[in-house]
Amino acid sequence: MKLLLALLLLPVGVWAQTTVAGRVTDMQGQAIPGANVVLKGTYDGASTTAEGAYSFLTTEAGAHTLVVSFVGYQRYEQPVTLEGGILAVDVRLAEELNELDAVVISAGSFTAGEENRRTILKPLDIAMTAGATADIAGALNTLPGTQKVGETGRLFVRGGDGNEARTFIDGMVVLDAYAPAAPNTPSRQRFSPFMFKGTSFSTGGYSAEYGQALSSALVLNSRDQAAQNQTDIGLMSVGVDVGHAQVWDRASVVGKIQYTNIRPYYGLIDQEVDWKLPPVSLEGSGAYRQKVGRDGLLKVYGNYSTSDFSLYEADILDPTQKQLLELDNRFAYGNAAYQQSLTDTWSLRGGFSYSLNENNVKVDGAPASEHEQGYHIKAVTEHSLNESLEIRLGAEHINRNYLASQLEVATQHVQSLSFDEPLTAVFAEGEWYATTRWVTRAGVRTEYNALTARWSVDPRWSVAFKPSNKGQFSFAYGTFRQSPANSLLRVDRQLTPERAEHFILNYQVLTDRKTFRVEAFYKKYRDLVKYENGNPMTLSNRGNGYAQGIELFWRDNQTIRNADYWVSYSLLDTKRDYLDFPQAAVPYFASRHNFSVVYKHFIPKLKSQLGATYSFTSGRPYFNPNLTKGEFNSQRTPSFQDLSANIAYLPKNWLIIYVSCTNLLGRDNIFNYEYSTTPNASGEYVGRAVKQPAPRFAFIGVFITISKNKSVNQLPNL
Amino acid sequence: MKTKLISFFLMISLSTVALATDKYTENMQKYIAQVYTAQTFEQLQSVTNALDRIAQAEPTRWEPLYYSAFGNLMTAVRQQEGSKKDQYLDLALASIEKAKKLVPGESEVIALEGFVHMIRVTVDPATRGQQFSGLAMQTFGKAVQLNPDNPRALSLMAQMQMGTARFFNAPVTEACGTAKLALEKFYSFTNDNLLAPRWGKEMTEELLTSCK
Repeated sequence: MKLLLALLLLPVGVWAQTTVAGRVTDMQGQAIPGANVVLKGTYDGASTTAEGAYSFLTTEAGAHTLVVSFVGYQRYEQPVTLEGGILAVDVRLAEELNELDAVVISAGSFTAGEENRRTILKPLDIAMTAGATADIAGALNTLPGTQKVGETGRLFVRGGDGNEARTFIDGMVVLDAYAPAAPNTPSRQRFSPFMFKGTSFSTGGYSAEYGQALSSALVLNSRDQAAQNQTDIGLMSVGVDVGHAQVWDRASVVGKIQYTNIRPYYGLIDQEVDWKLPPVSLEGSGAYRQKVGRDGLLKVYGNYSTSDFSLYEADILDPTQKQLLELDNRFAYGNAAYQQSLTDTWSLRGGFSYSLNENNVKVDGAPASEHEQGYHIKAVTEHSLNESLEIRLGAEHINRNYLASQLEVATQHVQSLSFDEPLTAVFAEGEWYATTRWVTRAGVRTEYNALTARWSVDPRWSVAFKPSNKGQFSFAYGTFRQSPANSLLRVDRQLTPERAEHFILNYQVLTDRKTFRVEAFYKKYRDLVKYENGNPMTLSNRGNGYAQGIELFWRDNQTIRNADYWVSYSLLDTKRDYLDFPQAAVPYFASRHNFSVVYKHFIPKLKSQLGATYSFTSGRPYFNPNLTKGEFNSQRTPSFQDLSANIAYLPKNWLIIYVSCTNLLGRDNIFNYEYSTTPNASGEYVGRAVKQPAPRFAFIGVFITISKNKSVNQLPNL
Repeated sequence: MKTKLISFFLMISLSTVALATDKYTENMQKYIAQVYTAQTFEQLQSVTNALDRIAQAEPTRWEPLYYSAFGNLMTAVRQQEGSKKDQYLDLALASIEKAKKLVPGESEVIALEGFVHMIRVTVDPATRGQQFSGLAMQTFGKAVQLNPDNPRALSLMAQMQMGTARFFNAPVTEACGTAKLALEKFYSFTNDNLLAPRWGKEMTEELLTSCK
């Protein structure tokens, strides 16, 4: 009995005490100081020293698990048996595939977001880029790969036409992302940048998930649940807007109404355009967010707008002859997207979108209309097979109905052209991290177009290699297709999609606050729509073309205190033989050199951010029908140059005053020339320059935020 | 004799239970004292690791998660490079998220979360200022709502208000009011939990010196 008692009272440690010791290194044998070594489920453990060594004493005995962890490395577990004495365990930790240091595919793509440290442009950058007037396309036009086509306001990417760049919101297609604009005046993107937490702008080589985009995919990811209740009021020289966010525990609703009326402004500042009634628009949008279960999120977004304007267009031959053009536009877009992880390795996302775009036009009273509506439904599942291999499978269906009709005044006969295009696609893609330095993504997209009853298969492949900690190389290849523009497809429904093949080579160096990238590309166009014998009513897919170039980008927000700037340059060589071109020629929208510098400087003393943007676009081609010698489109306009500036002033933390002005130097930029379709009495075609509607565009706005928490303002939204 | 033996065993097992809690409290008290006083990066890392070990061994306790987050937060404050700061803040936030699952209504944990957002701002004030200062402020608000007597939540809120007021050259009355209230709460603060957070009083007193 006494012996039993004595045994019981003895400290446990006497008969079992083990010293666990060893060294923790990385795969290259370099010591890892500060790693945490622990005997799982116990308090026993130690941190490694500067030499990576550790040692601790434990009273535990028997089978246990030794766990070693350190930030940036994969957690390591090893079974050990503790039998007293000394147990030596040396551990090598593998680097974690962490987003900061790991290689990523960067060929062709610019990613922008709030949190991500790898972002190249943040939403605020888009909003505060001088000259962009808070328009997404305007800001992206300061990035390499874009060619400025001032009179349209649209994105033109790497020798591609304006309709070759498609916009997706939360993965769902938007049929027409631009608001209507008068002929030869820039249109704006319908969606304001502050709706989105992330923007991914791809100038080629994008994932198999995105179809029906020949040159570029602009993927916008909308914000998650709103953070707090607040009301925002904007008073602008061109209108007013009111927004409100209401937040509940697991849901939020954000609504906004915007009224834009440019009439008073145009009343003050003389415009090149002969407006009867300048544009007025009313737009309402709403977003609903609901968290579902553990990590599911439902996002619903809707936007409805109407706008109208009317103007007189002077005849080129006889400017006293004027035609009255009236336009009335109705646009609706709705989208619902859902995402949820099913298990640790499976996740699901899907969505539905609906677009409606209706233009009612009257030309000297003769009505014509264009109506397009469509829906898009998509489901994608993602699965991580292991740490380094991920696959993605998806299916989608896009259905479009298009109808254009015109009343012939003389016969009172309505002419109409229409098409319905149901399109079904499936895609599969795999991403494999061979090491932290090598990644490959391979995918394939199959489409069935019920209008032409044709199948198509498009492979996509990209690879990236990071030889050092900073610089990395990427290469991307893929084939892309897109149905011809509505104005062509309505004439001949049997036209097959236009096709492009992309080859992109990219080198990028990214440090904390500096980015350098250089990218070379080659793009081959096939099956472009062409007029047969110059007749726009007989179309074929016999057109073709190419585009190649080199682009540079440099961004630095480190060297100059409180300043951030980026410089972009694009060199483009492109020719195509399509539409009415008599032979392969440079299209009217392609400029050889595009250069821009964006500079932003925050001055704490003045509580202001100043910004300036300089853009240069070399002369664009045009065709002078009076010239008998020389090639088609061999003439060049003068270069386009613009210096814009803005200032955002924060006198109070809930108040922002924002002023911006484009073309400070007042340069009389000529975008292009248009010529009369018939010669005048002396047998000459008369030309007219397409110019800016006014030398400058000035904007002033006052933005007020009302919330319980006074330190919040609209700067993140501007 | 038999009953005696049984009661003896009962006593032993009871004392083992008592010992186990004691071991937890004892270790925690030791490391909490260390995390408050750690000067060097190495000291901080070593004590944070120790707290992290306890957190792993005691998956139902929020305190080790709280202090491990606190240690990582202090490490982040001492880092020069922005991406390093973010890395430690990410670690702190991960522990905070775990602690929030254990004690969803704990004002102290929410206040620490706000502190993390506040330090995020310092990584890149020009681009992050607006987003994260708003988020920090809102989180402090939530912490105060959960426990209006939490001096740390009030003190951190006062810090934020002070920063904002200074930036806008606005009067610091509001910030000073909050700081004063925080200090009062520091004096009256009681908590039965031996391991409850106690830091922040000096910070508040220092803040109040700019109020005179």
